[in-house]
Amino acid sequence: MTNTWYLYLFFAAALVFAGLLGLLGKRNLIKLFIAIGVIGKGISLLLLSTGFAKANILTAQALVITYIVIEVSLVATALALIINIYRHTRSLDIRDLAKLKG
Amino acid sequence: MILQTALLIGLVIFSVLAIALKDLLKSAISLAVSSLLLGIIFFRMNAPYAGVFEISVVAGLITVLFILTIALTKSGDEVRESKLVNWVFPLVFVAFLVIDALVMKGLLGKVPALASGPEAGTFGEVLWRGRTLDLVGQIAVILAGVFAVLALFRKRDKHD
Repeated sequence: MTNTWYLYLFFAAALVFAGLLGLLGKRNLIKLFIAIGVIGKGISLLLLSTGFAKANILTAQALVITYIVIEVSLVATALALIINIYRHTRSLDIRDLAKLKG
Repeated sequence: MILQTALLIGLVIFSVLAIALKDLLKSAISLAVSSLLLGIIFFRMNAPYAGVFEISVVAGLITVLFILTIALTKSGDEVRESKLVNWVFPLVFVAFLVIDALVMKGLLGKVPALASGPEAGTFGEVLWRGRTLDLVGQIAVILAGVFAVLALFRKRDKHD
């Protein structure tokens, strides 16, 4: 079982790191939220694989479902914010947010 | 095991494509494909409810929201990304994969995890009896999201 767990954790860490690199390097607001989505995928894979390896799959499923509901709410709010920012600045560049001129 | 590994590799490739591709629409679709693969992985881990949620909500609803936002913000593709990132990103990622493969095996023994026995009951019992507070929290989070979206898109008053 440890070998399977190792495989899942390896790929979950790769997903989280790819998302972090995206957050650090990208400047487009929508790209940043896609990177947050990728980090979320890594976390849910980590949760479910740990539950699978420790024979606790039902609790892990409940936690993953809670996470998915939170992610939907987060993404809906964030995308509404992005549309509002676009209306103000006419751009999706994160650097334009530093200019706090109404 | 081989199929599961292939699915995991596909998941990582499509997730990296979602971040690295320049076209926003293509990257949103790559994110949807990676969610689909993650849902299939969940099904194969005997977690059908999580798989259904992942495919229907994350691959369906969130992708629609992303595509809607991309359509509403047309000049989004014009953001100039830093050129340095384009070649640093793959190098750092491959270096991390090597370190990950070397270190993760040693970390597995050291990370404390609950060593509990197999669970009893069905998924419904665990969700409704064991994690009742989570469900209340989920309702609160959904309401918070709805109110936030309503507040962000409200019409301006006359005196504003």
